[in-house]
Amino acid sequence: MATATFEKAKYQAAEIAERVPPLLLAARRIAATIEQGVHGRRRVGRGEAFWQFRQYYPGDELRRLDWRQSAKSDRLFLRQMEWSAAQTAFLWCDLSASMRFASKRDLPSKLEVAQVLTLALAGAMSRAGERVALLGSGERPTAGRFVLESIAHRLAHLAGQAESSSDQKFSIPPHGALPAHAHVILVSDFLAPQEELKAAINRFAGTDCRGHLIQVLDPAELDLPYAGRVRFEGVEGEGDLLMSRAENIREDYRTELANHWDGLKLLAQSAGWSVSRHVTDQSAAKSLLEAYQWLAADHRPTAHQ
Amino acid sequence: MLTLGSLTFAAPWLLAALAVLPILWWLLRLTPPSPRRISFPPIRLLFLLRPKEETPHRTPWWLILLRLFIAALVIAGLAQPLWNANFGFPRGGPVMIVLDDGWAAAHGWEQRKEAASALIDRAERNGRQVILATTAPQASAPSFGLTPMPAATAATQLAAMEPSPWPTDRAAAAARLDKANLPSDLNIFWLSDGIGSQKSDIDAAFSDTLQAHGSLDVMSLKLDLPLMLLPPERDPNGLWVKVARTQIGAAQPVRLRALDRDGRTLGISQGTFRADERVARIKLDLPVELANRASRIALENAASAGSVTLLDDGGGRKPIGLVTDNPALSRQPMLGEIYFVERALAPNHEVRADRLQTLLKQELAVIVLTDNSIFAEGDRAALRQWVERGGMVVRFAGEKLSSEPTDDLLPVRLRPGDRTLGGALSWTEPAHLAPFPNSSPFAGLQIPKDVAIERQVLAEPDIDLGNKTWARLTDGTPLVTGERMGNGFSVLFHVGSTADWSNLPISGLFVEMLDRLVMTASGIVANADENRPLAPAQTLNAFGQLTPPIASAVAIVAKNLSTTKAGPQHPPGFYGPDNQHRALNLAPSQPVFAPLTVPARQLAADRTLELAPSLFLVAFLLLIADMLIALALRGLLRRRGALATTTAAAVALCLLTAPQPSDAQQLPDQDILAATETTHLAFVRTGVPQVDATSKAGLYGLTQTLLRRTSVDVGDPVAIDVEADELSFYPFLYWPITAGQRTPSAAAIGKLNKYLAVGGMIFFDTADQNLIGMSGGDMGPGAQRLMELTPGLDVPRLMAIPPDHVLTKSFYLLRDFPGRWIGGTVWVEVPRGRVNDGVSGILVGSNDYAAAWATDELGQPLFPVTPGGERQREMAYRFGVNIVMYALTGNYKSDQVHVPAILERLGQ
Repeated sequence: MATATFEKAKYQAAEIAERVPPLLLAARRIAATIEQGVHGRRRVGRGEAFWQFRQYYPGDELRRLDWRQSAKSDRLFLRQMEWSAAQTAFLWCDLSASMRFASKRDLPSKLEVAQVLTLALAGAMSRAGERVALLGSGERPTAGRFVLESIAHRLAHLAGQAESSSDQKFSIPPHGALPAHAHVILVSDFLAPQEELKAAINRFAGTDCRGHLIQVLDPAELDLPYAGRVRFEGVEGEGDLLMSRAENIREDYRTELANHWDGLKLLAQSAGWSVSRHVTDQSAAKSLLEAYQWLAADHRPTAHQ
Repeated sequence: MLTLGSLTFAAPWLLAALAVLPILWWLLRLTPPSPRRISFPPIRLLFLLRPKEETPHRTPWWLILLRLFIAALVIAGLAQPLWNANFGFPRGGPVMIVLDDGWAAAHGWEQRKEAASALIDRAERNGRQVILATTAPQASAPSFGLTPMPAATAATQLAAMEPSPWPTDRAAAAARLDKANLPSDLNIFWLSDGIGSQKSDIDAAFSDTLQAHGSLDVMSLKLDLPLMLLPPERDPNGLWVKVARTQIGAAQPVRLRALDRDGRTLGISQGTFRADERVARIKLDLPVELANRASRIALENAASAGSVTLLDDGGGRKPIGLVTDNPALSRQPMLGEIYFVERALAPNHEVRADRLQTLLKQELAVIVLTDNSIFAEGDRAALRQWVERGGMVVRFAGEKLSSEPTDDLLPVRLRPGDRTLGGALSWTEPAHLAPFPNSSPFAGLQIPKDVAIERQVLAEPDIDLGNKTWARLTDGTPLVTGERMGNGFSVLFHVGSTADWSNLPISGLFVEMLDRLVMTASGIVANADENRPLAPAQTLNAFGQLTPPIASAVAIVAKNLSTTKAGPQHPPGFYGPDNQHRALNLAPSQPVFAPLTVPARQLAADRTLELAPSLFLVAFLLLIADMLIALALRGLLRRRGALATTTAAAVALCLLTAPQPSDAQQLPDQDILAATETTHLAFVRTGVPQVDATSKAGLYGLTQTLLRRTSVDVGDPVAIDVEADELSFYPFLYWPITAGQRTPSAAAIGKLNKYLAVGGMIFFDTADQNLIGMSGGDMGPGAQRLMELTPGLDVPRLMAIPPDHVLTKSFYLLRDFPGRWIGGTVWVEVPRGRVNDGVSGILVGSNDYAAAWATDELGQPLFPVTPGGERQREMAYRFGVNIVMYALTGNYKSDQVHVPAILERLGQ
């Protein structure tokens, strides 16, 4: 019996792993639209960009002499580089059942869009030299060319796990010990109870992490385009609800959704975080750019230079 | 039974169920449709909402109405509604239906049958019995007689009834009725054919007889009576056909179609009845040759025995004998002596090729002798007698006739030798034909410009040579001479019957000339015995179609044919042996062709329409619609998806019912072009992958060798499937024999035979010399397999290749023929004279040649040769080159011209 379950899980994992290359491709394509260099620290340090020439003082390493500059005058000069440091970013993608929703056959599911966004961010950041890791994977943040692949595989593996289990844990970001001043990016529909979310965010904010929330929603979840006698069913065991005239509650629903959004924004602001929304029928590049602009904005922890 | 106007309900009490409909309405309103089910992740947000108003959802009123309508339809259908139910009969006794079933009834037979069947239905509803009576004479009395029977039995009897191809005999029918002891309270319906009997008082008497037994209702197709064709008249201007009609007063166009024996249309003529004309004379607009071939003339848009007139076999097809001792040899395409003659004559005439002795025993109009026709002195005398009795002998010149022109069966005396016009050693040009003289049978034929004579035999000058000359060249020399000999003709073409001496035999003129000659011939020379019985060969049915003779038809003595009346023993049709059919027509047995004088009403089937099936069908369709609506309301039909599904289903249905296109085997033009633009070596695909790969590589290697060493420009090798592919594009087929190969079908064998007959070449490679070498036998397993594979293949006698065979010198001079193995014998056909120029169509080897030739793309050999050495492989290639040269050039190298050079090379 156990073997059978294991075999099934393996099969599903393989099935999901098959989806990795196209996801990666989409992520790479989107990430390539954003150009961002390594963050210069505007001071001398280890780095690759030229910062200044400084006169040689005894005690300086001789191999750092810039001979060409020195030959121009009587003094000796050293070449100094700008110190560039990479940020550490943790990504999390909601893999719960509610994400596997697509209102129309020609729309991607929220999960697919969220995965693409996650991977695209990971790709963009690793290309920019940042260290990236998947939240809750237990791996150390790494930089380099192969980060994107490993994250993609990790994500596919987790998605396989999430699909085969009905566990609720996938709808709330896990709490792991994060290094201070790390950046956290959460991609989800954030439809889980806001108290749980608040608890999780506060835990992150407690370690002085900065973060950004990307809410992924289906157009049907925005507009409730249904009419007539409809039985709405929850996907994570919330129960069901019979509406005899679904068109009558549309306005109320929109208001409720707006309230939810406000609550989410408030939640983020209280922790000093930001939030953006992505609808699955929009281009992913736009939302990605938004998130990236937030990352690129100069609110990195400058106080700890 | 409930009747409302034309509508009747057979089971009206079921209509009470309509009272249930209001209850149904109430029930339907109570049960709302089940809701759509939608998975919706943000359902927590919905839990927070309170709906504004919770009106109970009801089924829409129009849906309830639809469902009620369906229920009403079903109830109405169950009540068995009938439209136009005509009840009752005037008298209390059984119903009698008198059906005219002579030839004239074939016109509108379906309407008559329908009316009769409606009457039987009505009788069944009224519980009456039915009597069926017919008026045309029959060979045997019908099984149902004149007795009352249940309506159901009568309906089956009626369904089996057919009209007869001869006229009715109402006098005899009246006599039968009188004898039958019928009750006097019958309800009689006479479905008449509308044509009067030979004497008008017969019809009145018949009507009186019927009336004596009960009420009489006479029905007839009043305005649409059949036409009748009278026997045609021949006069010098052509064939005149007479058409008779029964009613006058309006002009009426008619169209006639002339058909030959095989039912092919020869021509169509149009004519018109003038308003006051009872008989129209229409000329058949056909050339004489075509008119002679006409075997029957039919009225268009009419289907009765009277609308067809049959013609005796006569001027058209004639039996023609071609004298040959070896039909297979002389029929050889393009080369055989009788090939072109047979091709020219066979479409229009019956051609037999046989020995003279055999032919002289048959009835023939023309005998054709070619140059090589051999006959003994006795036969010559017999032939001369035959000609004098009225036969025509047509001879063709040739080498033999020009060398010894001592023959008394010629129209003119010939000079020994012949003259050659044009050619390499002559200043003269090939001669053309002069216009035919008016006295010639060929007068008026168009002479194509490109007919040229290169060689001919010459006649000795004579006083009456000019009169005997039927065709001459532009320089005046006779080309065709003919002479009356007794009652017959002797004709000589001064050229051969093949394309060697002139291109006349391959021109269209040749066909026309032979046709004219056959028309000139007086006909079949045989003594006709006027007392011989003529057995029925084909008879007409009442609808004017020729069928095998009916069972009751018996033979007619020849001299009585013209006086015989059509009837059950002698239905109209063809009588007599094949090719000498004599026609018995219907028209003489109907000398009076007039309308019925008894007053009749227009025939009309008062058909009762059962409405129940249509009601049920509509209800069923509406039920499907209701189901779709219910699904749509529950949201189970996505709008776009549903549309696509419905369309796909409809299209699939159309495709299923549409006739499948026949997969005619036609090669696309591109494939034909590709196969013929360059020469390709081809191998037979065996289905064994290794063998096929080896064959392909082998032919590839050989192709490369050919391109490198010779001027032969060959394309890539081609794999051939003998079952499916066209073979005639490939001059040479390599066929490796394997155990795993499927035996070709009979059709494929036929195709291969045809391929060989037209000069194809197949090289069978048994590839088993290594095994023979081990077992020491003469024949390996491959040869056994070859025999199994090719049953029915036309393989002539084979022999081991002689040392002086053309294959040994067609390009390289070779002594032995190694392949991958050595020592195997190559077998070729024993030369059969001029068949295929003595070129062997079949070669059999056993040395696995393809393996020796096989190279990869870079020219590296793929298989080692055994015992080995590059010399062996080189010799294998040389043999391959020789084979291809042999396939392409035939016996060219066996020509004596090359002998000195070859001898010198051989050092002899």
